[in-house]
Amino acid sequence: MMRKTKLPETMRCVVLIGIDFDGPSHEVGRGISPLGKQSWGRYSARCGIPRHMDMLDRHGIKATFFTPGYDAEQHPNTVQEIDRRGFEVGAHGYLHEGWDLDGDEERALLMKTDSILRELTGKAVLGWRSPSGRKSDKTLGILKSLGYIYDSSDKDYDAPYRLRFGKGTDDVIVELPNNTYSLDDFPFYKFSYTPPTEVLAQWKSEFDSIYKTDHFYCLSVHPRSGWGSGTASRTKVMSDLITYMKGHDGVHFMDYRTFAQWCLENDDKLEEMSLT
Amino acid sequence: MTNYSWPVNARSVVFVSVNFDAESFDLKETSPERLYGRFSYGRYGTRAGLPRLTALLQKHDIPATFFVPAADAKRHPNEIHALIKDGYEIAARGIDMEDFATLGDKEFQILKDSRDILSSITGHAPCGFRSPNGNLSSQTLHFLSELGFTYDATFQDADNPYVFELKKGQRLVEIPSSFALDDAPVYSARHTHARLISIWRDEFRAMHEEGMLIPLTLHLRGDFGSTRGARIAALDELLTEIKSHSDVHFMNGAAIAAHTRTLGLPGEPDPAAAHAQTLARTVFRGDLAVKPL
Repeated sequence: MMRKTKLPETMRCVVLIGIDFDGPSHEVGRGISPLGKQSWGRYSARCGIPRHMDMLDRHGIKATFFTPGYDAEQHPNTVQEIDRRGFEVGAHGYLHEGWDLDGDEERALLMKTDSILRELTGKAVLGWRSPSGRKSDKTLGILKSLGYIYDSSDKDYDAPYRLRFGKGTDDVIVELPNNTYSLDDFPFYKFSYTPPTEVLAQWKSEFDSIYKTDHFYCLSVHPRSGWGSGTASRTKVMSDLITYMKGHDGVHFMDYRTFAQWCLENDDKLEEMSLT
Repeated sequence: MTNYSWPVNARSVVFVSVNFDAESFDLKETSPERLYGRFSYGRYGTRAGLPRLTALLQKHDIPATFFVPAADAKRHPNEIHALIKDGYEIAARGIDMEDFATLGDKEFQILKDSRDILSSITGHAPCGFRSPNGNLSSQTLHFLSELGFTYDATFQDADNPYVFELKKGQRLVEIPSSFALDDAPVYSARHTHARLISIWRDEFRAMHEEGMLIPLTLHLRGDFGSTRGARIAALDELLTEIKSHSDVHFMNGAAIAAHTRTLGLPGEPDPAAAHAQTLARTVFRGDLAVKPL
């Protein structure tokens, strides 16, 4: 029998803020030298991530930084600082790949970034977000074998769920779905050139709808310049949005790992969806 | 970026730069005999646009830097002389809208020639450079430094100017800009000037609040530039708001570079070096392309 995900009454809305580090890996992975106008990714470690951490600290809330392994190698101090300040470091590919990979390549890449991040933070990496939004039918099994408890890449639902990817007892992982058309900064700042105040209105409107119905708000942003939210005006949008959400009862801001852990401990409250 | 500080009394500094990009831009797509019709937007920039823009800048008493492709400077020496006479800075932008990422052996000579052509028209060597399409090679910054340039204004990776130390003692100031404050991406996507000004107002307010460099990047052209009457009027409104803050200063590129050099900032390493090995074994996939249905 299908059980729909139902969060308890006290959790009127869970808010997860995912910050995709996306430093120079994004350009270098496409064979582009990160110079001149292609240097947007250099903004992440220099300005965007420190500004996001300061803003989140002022609000006293946690978030998750999904980090490509290459960016972690280029900016090890930034990754350690993210961890030291109590934010989560999640995995996000090595060179921000398009993720059209065969099985062996995929395992090697996932293991590579996993060990880079693990070494820098001294902690197990618990979650992954696909750098391009693509996955294969092998991805989840590999992540699970590396000890990951959640994935945040799928677009097929409004609430967290248990994603069954195989027939074995353990072939299940927590899926924290995101939407890269409406709850993401990329479409507005790169694609439609939407003024920051309009983006704020959009994300507030999303919240108003989600607060009444699905109680799960999963925002994806990027700390780079150009199309990201690392700059002053756009970090202010995030801050004003957080202030708005805090004005509502029962809103819980968490990093992804904390909420995924809660999902594991309350798996009877989560819908299970099977792809086998 | 905590080490950066502006001159006394300035909370933030606006850097108005104008990418001249006249016929040189149209000539990327057509031949000199066919500079008519849709290939005359560049000519609009110098005929109709430039006088309107300089009138606006003079009304607000705002300095500016014009990045001029050398071939356009040769085509429009009178306009360049008038800009110099009015106190504007003329800086380099290659010769013919080259892609600096792919010039190879020709790159040094093109930079040198562009410098010399501008010098012969203006009477002195330019000190600033901005790549015509925003691309650079791993050699560009080194060549600029060897040719006596003191700053580059092509990167988009920082809130404030900073300094590259390419080799020991070889320092080049970087004045970064931002696509969020560049008219070309917005107008080339056919957005309204009302929308552009809403974006820029949001950007200005937040950047001024944080006290940083505010790089406004304009183009002269009639298609994706800012010089049509209604666009100038919209810009006038924004500049009026900006000027109402007494703690906003306006500086041109040369002045910002000179100020930056006085700060004794630590030099940053060659930005290409750290990626060279990885790039050598990475397949070129080109820029991210997203299109509507």
